[in-house]
Amino acid sequence: MEKNGFKNSNFNEKGEAIGNLSLASVFWTFFRIGFFTLGGGLAMMPVMRHEIVLKHKWMNDSDFYSMVCMATAIPGAIAVNMAYFLGRRLKGKGGLIVAVFGTILPSFIVILFIAGMLSPYFYFPKVTAFLHGCSIAVVGQLAFASLIFSKSSLGTWKHFIACIIGIIIIGIFKMHPIWGLIGTGMFGFYFFPYKTD
Amino acid sequence: MKLFVDLFVSFMIIGIGAYGGGMVTIPLIQHEIVTSRKWLAFKDMAEVFAIAQMTPGPIAINAATFTGFKVGGIFGSILATLSVVLPSMLILTFLGLLIIDRYGKNNYMVRFRSGMQVGVLSLIFYAVWSYGSAAITGWLDFGIALFSFLMLIIFEGKLHPIIVILTCGIIGMLIF
Repeated sequence: MEKNGFKNSNFNEKGEAIGNLSLASVFWTFFRIGFFTLGGGLAMMPVMRHEIVLKHKWMNDSDFYSMVCMATAIPGAIAVNMAYFLGRRLKGKGGLIVAVFGTILPSFIVILFIAGMLSPYFYFPKVTAFLHGCSIAVVGQLAFASLIFSKSSLGTWKHFIACIIGIIIIGIFKMHPIWGLIGTGMFGFYFFPYKTD
Repeated sequence: MKLFVDLFVSFMIIGIGAYGGGMVTIPLIQHEIVTSRKWLAFKDMAEVFAIAQMTPGPIAINAATFTGFKVGGIFGSILATLSVVLPSMLILTFLGLLIIDRYGKNNYMVRFRSGMQVGVLSLIFYAVWSYGSAAITGWLDFGIALFSFLMLIIFEGKLHPIIVILTCGIIGMLIF
C-alpha cells in the first residue's frame, strides 16, 4: 500500500489487512490503549507505539510517525484521530468505528465512576501521593516520546533548524500550535531535500 | 433541553479547537466551561484537570465526560463526550482522507508534511516543558521523572509503559 505511505507485511498490496484480524481484537487493542494511557494526547504515543509497532507489528516506525503527524495536524484529540486512521487501515469502516469507541470508552467509564463515586477519595494523602508519582512518570514518558520521535524526524541540520523554529513559535511566542505546524511545514516545503521512498 | 443544546455546541467547539493535544487544550476548555458558560467554578475545573491527567484517555474527553455528568447526569456525559469527538470525525471523513488520498504522493506535499512532522516534535518538546514545569517541583520529583525515562529506554518493547507509570505511582506513595 503506497497510497498513504503505509506498508507492512501484515497488509497486502491493496492495503487490506491480511490474516485473521477480527473486529474484536481491534477493539480490545484500542480499549487497552485507551485504558493504559495517562496524560492524554502526545503522552499516549509511547503506549500506542508499544501496542501497534512493537507488539502487534501492524506497521513500522516511520509509518507510525507519519500517522502521528497527520493525527496531530487535524483538530481533535490526537489519540482519537490516530484510532480513526489505524482502525480504517486495519478493518475499514467497521474498524474505525470500533477503534474510536475502544479509545473513548475507558476514559468515559473511569470518569463516570470517579465523578459518581470516588471523588472524595481523591483527597486522601496516600492517593494524592500515588497520583503525583504517576503524573511525574508521564513527564518521563513525554521525554521518551520526544527521544524516539527525534530519531525519526531529525535527519539533517535543516530538520534541526525547523524543530527550533517550531519551538520558538509555540513555546516562546505562545502562538496557537497550528502556526507552529504551518511554520515548520512551510520551512520543509522550501528547504527540505527531495525525498524518494 | 436548552442545556443539552448548549452542551452539544460547547463541546463541539472544544472538539474543533482541541489542537495539539493534552495540556495545550486546557486553556480552551477552561474558557468555554468556566468563563463563558459558568457550568463549573474555577476550583472545580482545577479538580477536573487533576483527575483528567491522572485518569486514562485524552484530556478533552475526560473533561467532557466529567463536565457533562456534573451538569446533565448520565445523558449529559454521553452527549458531551460524543460532541467532542464528532468534529474531528467529520473533518477526517470529508476532508482529511480526501486530501491525504489525493495529494499524499505529491512531492511538495511530502516535503510540507515532513516539515510538519518536525513541528510535531517541537510540540512534544514543548509538552515536556509545560507538563514538566507543572508536575515537577523538586529534585526528588526530577529523579522520579528521570527514572521513568530511563526505564522506558532500557526496557523499550519489553515492558508496557503503564507498568513504569504505576511503579512511579507506588514510589510516590512510599516517599511523599
